[in-house]
Amino acid sequence: MWKNYLKVSFRNLQKRKLYTGINLLGLTIAVVSFLAICLYIHHEWSYDTMYSDYNRIYKMNQEFKSDGESQLLSTTPSSLVPTILEEIPEAEIGTLIFDVSIFSTVMVDAGEGNQEESAFAYVDENFYRVFDFKMVSGNPLQAFSEPNQVVLTKSTAERYFGNANAAQGQALKIDNQDYVISGVMEDFPSNSHIDFDFLASFKTRRHGKNPEWSPSNYYTYVKVKPGTDPAVFEGKLKQIVDKYLGKELAEYGYETAFFLQPVTKIHLGDQALDSIKPGTDIRYLYIFGIVALLLIAIGVINYVNLATAEATERNKEVGLRKTMGADRIQLFGQFVSESMLLTFASTLLSMLVLYLISPKFSSISGVPLRLDLLVTPLGITLILAFVVLIGVLAGLYPSLILSGMEPIKALANKTKMGGGAWVRKTLVVFQFFFSIGLLISTMVVKNQLDYMQEINLGYDKEHLVSLSYHYNMGDGIETIKNEMLRSGAATSISRAADMPVYIKAGYKISPGGDNQREFMITGYSVDTDLIKTIDLDLIAGNNFSETDPKRSELEELDDRNLVILNETAVKEMGWTVEEAVGKTINIGFNSNSEVKGVVKDFYFNSLHHQVGPLVIFNDPDQANVLLVKLPVGNPATHLATLENVWQNLVPERPFNPVFVDQAYSHMYNSEQQAGLIFGVFSGIAIFIACMGLFGLVSYVALRRTREISIRKVLGATQQNVVAVLAADFLKLLLVAAILATGFGIWFSKSWLQDFANRTTQSIWPFVISIAVVFLLALITIAYRSWKVYSLNPAKTLKSE
Amino acid sequence: MIQLKEIDKYIESRFQRIFILKGINLTINEGEFVTLMGPSGAGKSTLLNILGLLDEDYSGEYWFGDNNINKMRDRDRSALHKSEFGYIFQAYHLIDELTVYENIETPLLYRKVSSNERKSIIADLLDRFNMVAKKDLFPAQLSGGQQQLVGIARAIAGKPRILLADEPTGNLHSGQAQEIMQVFQELHKEGTTIIQATHARENADFGTRLIQMLDGKIDQDEVITHA
Repeated sequence: MWKNYLKVSFRNLQKRKLYTGINLLGLTIAVVSFLAICLYIHHEWSYDTMYSDYNRIYKMNQEFKSDGESQLLSTTPSSLVPTILEEIPEAEIGTLIFDVSIFSTVMVDAGEGNQEESAFAYVDENFYRVFDFKMVSGNPLQAFSEPNQVVLTKSTAERYFGNANAAQGQALKIDNQDYVISGVMEDFPSNSHIDFDFLASFKTRRHGKNPEWSPSNYYTYVKVKPGTDPAVFEGKLKQIVDKYLGKELAEYGYETAFFLQPVTKIHLGDQALDSIKPGTDIRYLYIFGIVALLLIAIGVINYVNLATAEATERNKEVGLRKTMGADRIQLFGQFVSESMLLTFASTLLSMLVLYLISPKFSSISGVPLRLDLLVTPLGITLILAFVVLIGVLAGLYPSLILSGMEPIKALANKTKMGGGAWVRKTLVVFQFFFSIGLLISTMVVKNQLDYMQEINLGYDKEHLVSLSYHYNMGDGIETIKNEMLRSGAATSISRAADMPVYIKAGYKISPGGDNQREFMITGYSVDTDLIKTIDLDLIAGNNFSETDPKRSELEELDDRNLVILNETAVKEMGWTVEEAVGKTINIGFNSNSEVKGVVKDFYFNSLHHQVGPLVIFNDPDQANVLLVKLPVGNPATHLATLENVWQNLVPERPFNPVFVDQAYSHMYNSEQQAGLIFGVFSGIAIFIACMGLFGLVSYVALRRTREISIRKVLGATQQNVVAVLAADFLKLLLVAAILATGFGIWFSKSWLQDFANRTTQSIWPFVISIAVVFLLALITIAYRSWKVYSLNPAKTLKSE
Repeated sequence: MIQLKEIDKYIESRFQRIFILKGINLTINEGEFVTLMGPSGAGKSTLLNILGLLDEDYSGEYWFGDNNINKMRDRDRSALHKSEFGYIFQAYHLIDELTVYENIETPLLYRKVSSNERKSIIADLLDRFNMVAKKDLFPAQLSGGQQQLVGIARAIAGKPRILLADEPTGNLHSGQAQEIMQVFQELHKEGTTIIQATHARENADFGTRLIQMLDGKIDQDEVITHA
């Protein structure tokens, strides 16, 4: 029976090429998108599940409270792990990771000169006891038991030694210290939140030998004994805090608490806690999941629409089969098998397409497309289930219509499309609602991204380059600065703690005198050239001068210090800009800081947040980067000149320029990625929907061939004919557009809410999206009706 | 075998009922070869459809053996339809996408006949109608007469007791028509009850009973005797 079904289905599909083509293409595109999104979501969801006993591994974070303000820290002190292993019996094993690259890069020399490495961490000897990554060589349990041991990942080892097996036991110079390679490990899996090129033994560091309760710079993990309740464990962590830290912290009015975070929740968990790798906002995964389902729905709808429209063509066959004794169930089986055959074919086809696009996909999404997951027994089962489900979904309604026809009427070709018309219309409305809605969302996202690119940040990020250097370069950096200025490839250079894009350091500030109000402020350590270099607007007072005291050279808590504030900081103090200049305030432990100037607010943080209070310190020794303003002209030539200067003065340090405007864009990576994904999928949705429309219009046109011919004989122009055919569909599109507008308003409100600085709501995304979709739909309709119009009426009318 | 009592079929139009069949009383016994004749619109096809359980929209009683069709459950009626009736159409109505072999096989599939049995039944039929060489051709590749032979083969594949034929020779030229009617005669001799509707008086001569219809009523009912 099934053989017969399949045979007939296959021949039917073969016979009607347009119909099959549209369905196959639509479904394939939908299935490709669906599977790609599923694999992406699966990847994000599978983070940190590769360790044995992963559900007993927790990361320890801390909540730091001062003056009622609480701050989540993802790092803890180096004493935490040794202490809990000693004092909490439920702690089976624990480990620590010190990611030095957040402070500065590391120089690695394998005998061929220094290379700058930024994925470098120190870990304690228990690292592999918690995270049992696979080794290529070396004993994982002794890889970090001595100081100055280092483990390389396979690809790093290949980079340095050409062959991973050659690395074991070799010597490396790291920041001019001697290390021995104690092991080579497989590269970190892409779905592990831990990702480095080098792991060195923490015993090399001072705090590795003598753990302390300050600073809190370390990622720490604990594997608890089976059956341990995390809440109980956290209770014991509290006792530890009380025992070792409580008193000291209380003196300063601070409070801290350690809490556990399951290792599997790090990647998709609270994004306020930063981690070794940036996490993924779980809301985006939900959105992508919904988009995936909706895309499949659009593909299925195409099938349903075309198949019901086409049902009239198959009246005769249905009638015949019924007179030959076919049950409704049997007919139903036949039509469903047809849709399943089509789904199966498009699924196979999409596997091929996925295989072809997987490199591109991986480079865009940053996630490898694990096609091998699809050919595991589970993957195959799921795919077959998917084929059956989609096949049934797509075939259900058309099969009901077809199998429900009365045989005599069916044979006489008397049934009409009438019955299914409203269903089809509803489905078309849904398709276009979704397409227009996605397009509007894309444009809203794009508008905000454009806004963020074009917004006046309050400083000039164009032609601005950041060069990071090492603090131990000391005074040499002044020489570099001067030489660069002399070379003519820089108009102005400032030393600064970081790029102005994202300034982090937090301080406490209070207005001093009787006013005891304290608040948190961001601090920015720079030299006298900052204002000129990044073009800040000084609205009151003066810039630092060369003779002003430098903050790191102060010796007593009440030594005179000079600072520049931003407008917001002044406002927080309750002063006007003019009043502020000359006032003395408390900052951190210094009680004699005089406000020397006030700058206009500039954005030194993500646009998700409002500009906060900022204090600028005259403190070049705390700087880590050179901000270099390039003169007009080709940046590449200027950079070449600068590199020359750099190489002459510090040949052992690599020259790594970063454009500030690129770093700025980089901050909105996840938004840009979302925008890109929305864009791609709205394109796909519109394409599939238009294809469906094309098919539907084709059938309507075919059915109305006679009518159109008569109109033509009566003198109708082509436009008249298009108008006749288009009218019905445009009505549906209009309904879809109205619904999509509603959705768009809701979306732009809720998405833009995440941005403290956002573009104004504009009507254009709506107008443009609707216009684009209408235009495409109209072209589709016009093309189809033109074909019918161009038929010779003499022939079409004769056949009636 | 078949008994119709006071069968009416009408279309409700705005001002009046238009009767297609009115007051049909008819008994057909097993083994008869009945010909329905009459001008277009006399109700021949409608009557045939009612007899073949294809049309259930009428008033009156339809007895099949001891069963009142009108009171049967759908499932039973459908089973009866499958086991007892075979249909032959004027326009052959073969399924274009299926080969000769597959067309004949289709009703057997719906009757859930086993694969081996199907093969032997179809082989016999192909042999009987001299179509073995054409079994893999599609309907479009056959002449009208050959298509109708396939239609007949398909209709009798399920071994129905009653064969219904609506203008079986209407689209054929006289030579082919003659051939088809001879096949009918043979089937009749083998015991099949045949009911055909036709315009052609000469076709009636192959049967045993001629019913003349006019305006939805039975006008004449005569026995045809063969010399």
